[in-house]
Order: sequence, then structure tokens, then C-alpha cells
Amino acid sequence: MGIKVELAQIKPKLGDINYNLEKHIAILSTSSADCVIFPELSLTGYVLRDLAFEVFRESEKAINKIAEVAKCAVFGTVKEVRTGILRNTAVVSINGKVDYVYKFYLPTYGLFEERRYFQPGDPLKDLKVFEINGMRFGVVICEDGWHPEPIEALAMMGADTIFIPAASPLRRLDRRLLIQDNWEALVKAHSLMYGIWTAFTNAVGSQEEEFFWGGSMISNPRGEIVARAKLFEEDRISYYLNEEDIRIARFFSSFRDHNNDFHKILSNI
Amino acid sequence: MHEYVLKKMMVDFELVTNYIVERLREYLEFSAKKGGVVGVSGGIDSAVTAALLARATNNYFFLIMPSSTTPKKDIDDALGLIKMLGAEDKYAYIDIDEIVNNIASQVKTNDHYVIGNIKARVRMVLLYGYAQKLGYLVIGTGDKSELLLGYFTKYGDGGVDVLPIGDLYKTQVRMLGRYLGLPEDIVTKPSSPALWEGQTAEGEIGVDYDTIDSILYLRFDEMRTPEEVANFLGINIDIVRKIENMVRFSQHKRLAPEIFRLSGRAINSDWRYPRQWG
Repeated sequence: MGIKVELAQIKPKLGDINYNLEKHIAILSTSSADCVIFPELSLTGYVLRDLAFEVFRESEKAINKIAEVAKCAVFGTVKEVRTGILRNTAVVSINGKVDYVYKFYLPTYGLFEERRYFQPGDPLKDLKVFEINGMRFGVVICEDGWHPEPIEALAMMGADTIFIPAASPLRRLDRRLLIQDNWEALVKAHSLMYGIWTAFTNAVGSQEEEFFWGGSMISNPRGEIVARAKLFEEDRISYYLNEEDIRIARFFSSFRDHNNDFHKILSNI
Repeated sequence: MHEYVLKKMMVDFELVTNYIVERLREYLEFSAKKGGVVGVSGGIDSAVTAALLARATNNYFFLIMPSSTTPKKDIDDALGLIKMLGAEDKYAYIDIDEIVNNIASQVKTNDHYVIGNIKARVRMVLLYGYAQKLGYLVIGTGDKSELLLGYFTKYGDGGVDVLPIGDLYKTQVRMLGRYLGLPEDIVTKPSSPALWEGQTAEGEIGVDYDTIDSILYLRFDEMRTPEEVANFLGINIDIVRKIENMVRFSQHKRLAPEIFRLSGRAINSDWRYPRQWG
């Protein structure tokens, strides 16, 4: 048992919902995957600045159009969760049914300014596990992959696969693309710690000063990168996420020994 | 250059080249312009920018705009670069002395600082004239060292549409030039705006570029204190302070002009939009 996923590493146009919607529809209608994962804020673009106050209206309509054609799709948008309150959101659309995952950790440092626009998700309400073809999965958005708890909680709640829609910009260029190494380490670590498939879909291309480097990747539950998208250009990669790999990885890992007492300590700090 | 800083300067220039070329292509596409214009001086910054632009698009145009204070060697090097890039039918040669003298006489000055800046702004006007005529953008040649120091003319060589090499220090631009196979004469030539005779950047600033780049990198990229920078490089702290002051006093050149707030949403303060959107 398992699912075929496709990572759609697209270059969204900033604030051009119609263009981005068409791109989503074109990919979904030509994909043979059970589920297609797009980058963070894939419908709107990432470096929105004050456009965040405007794009949510139009993108709300676009969500329904994607839900009509998608078997299963994870894509990004700005959602108004109550009047005047916006969240950085991943839409999870399965067989026409739409649900929402919100970003918990909103980067507001260096080039990031998400707290200026968005309200963070509430872990007590917003951690969700979904299922398609018997595969249980969770979704965390970009920065949430830089912390242990969101994915740890989803894995403990039953998710065997984690999708990470991201908008990771290039920075601190050294001999190698350091941010790519960083993400690879994170993706592998989450897979290794919980015996899960971890699939990271990055945006690509420039938005304002920033440049999203692509390089989407999938780690199997043994922490091996089994599929990689190209750097710096749009790409689509597919891979079959097999339940058996999860089983075998967990036979030979200590995931089963998860000790919740650590969380008691953490909750009192 | 201090070995530690030199190591930090040596990035993957193949990656940098692909990155800048791709970004230039995207920038042209997003701005719905057909190509780019570069003023080619015979120096390293404009040579690297021109070479990168020529990789990004066939729609490029170069201007050589010497004045009476431009060394002949610079003109020869600029022409050599045009030939090397196969751009013999995509450049114009404009002697700017007459235009500059006209303006200087109207301003009633013979101060070489004022005239020097007029030269830089005349070049900007010519670049924009050609750019508009061709439907192109003006591609700037400023590097990170010059931009941080404010070692450029406001609305002169600073008056451009985009700065593709603006996040590379002078040291790195030279390395990139060597990677791109530019003539060694251009790669190693001392940096100079040539706005007046005998002017060189290092002569005018009074500090060599190895030291300037080391100070800028350690002080601003690595956020070390002036004292740490001086100790690390084994130089007098006054040199660090001098460079830091150049950065501080030139901040107005790097930002859009300040707008005095009156309304509930003032541009650039709490009205912050991207350059372009759908």
C-alpha cells in the first residue's frame, strides 16, 4: 500500500492569482499522482508585503476551482479566518473536500516579516491528520519544519507522511548552497526520528529581491533522499511512497519508545 | 587580504553566474522590457555586468561614454570587451565632453567634484535615452563595496533600474570576472570612476580595496564590532571607523527619498507594496 505523490515546484507570479490558478489546474489535470503538493503560498506568491491585505479575496474563489479538479492537492494561500485576521495557510483538498492547515511559526527575522501580516495557527486546534488511499499524512508549512514539535505532534497523532510546502529563499551563499544543505538535514532528520516519508516542495524563481531556489526533495523513512527536483527552475517530480518502507524503518528505530515525559518538562518551562 | 576573509569571498562562481543570468532574464521578463543597456567603462564592474547581460539575452546594447579625463587604456579595454563579447554592432561611442561643458557652464563651476558628478549624471541620461528608445532597462554596474561606501554618484551611476552585482564585493567581482574569462588587464585594473584626471578609488578613499572589503564584510556581514574588526585585521581602528562613517553618511544614497508623513498610509512607511504584482 502507498501513494504516488507529485511535488509541483512552481514559480508563482506575485499577486497574480489567475496566472497561478491556471498553473495549478494545468499541473493537476496532467498529473498521474494520488496527491500533488505545491509550495507555500503557491496561489499568491510569497513576498506579498501589503498585497497580503488584498489577495485573500480572490484566492478564496480559486480554492474552490482547484477543489473541483483535484483528487488530492496541497497548495498555499492567504486565508481570512475571521474578519481582518489573515493566516498563512495550506489548503488540503481531498476529493472535493477542503480543509486548512495554518502555519504555527511565523518567521519574522532577517528578510522575513510574516508577523506583520499573519496570525499563527493554534496547535491545540489546528494539528490535523488526513488520509488518502490508506496513507495518513500531515502538512506543516516551511518554518514549522525548522522546529521539532509540529511534525513530532503529527507523527504521534498518526501521520506516516509529512508534506512541507515551503518558500525558502536563497541566502548566505558559500561554496555550496547552505540553505539546501540545511533543508536536506531537516527533511532527513524528521524522517529518521519518526520513521516517516517527508516531502519538501519549494517554490522557485524570483520575487522582489529574493530568489527561491527550488530543490524540492523527498526523504524515505530511512533518511535517504530518494527524489530531487532541479535547482533554480520549475520542475515536477513524482515518487511512490510505500507503507512497507515505513514499517521496516520503524522495526529498526526507537520511534516506538517516544517518551511523553519530556513534553511534561517542556510544558512547564 | 586576510586569509579568513578571502576564503569567505570565494563562493561558487559558476553558481553565481547561473543565478545572476537567470535573475536578469526574469527581471527583464517581469518588467516587460526587451533587453538591457550597460555603460561600459573599461573597468571590472561594467565588464562583468556586460558579460552577464550578454549571457542573459541577445537584446543588449552597450554605451562607451568617455570624457577628457578617461584614460585611453580604459577606452581600449572597453572596445576590447565589445569585441570579445561579439557586440560590434550593438554599441555606441559618445564623447560626453561637449554636453558636460555645456552643463558646467550653465552651473558656472569648474570644481572637479561638481563636474565629475555632472559627468556621471550625463551618462545616466544617455543610458536612459537609449534604453527608452530601444525598450530596454538600464542595467546598473554598482558592486556591494561601492554601494555600501556610497562611492557612486546619486542619480548618476546610481540611477539605474537594477543592480545585478550589487551583492558582490569588489573582490568577488574581480574573481567573477576572472571566472568569466575577462581580460586580465580589466580584472586587475585599479578601480577608478575617472571623473577627473588621476582619480583612483583607493587613492581617494585612502584605503586599499582588500582592506575595505575585509572591513565591510566583517563589520556588516558578520556583525563584528569595530574593535573586533581592527584586532582581527591587525589595523588601526581609525581605518575601520573611517570606512564605517562612509557607510553611515551615505545611507541617503541607498534609500528612496524620505517622504514626510501626513496620511494614515504613507509610501514606504506603512504602504509597502512589491515592485510588481498581478
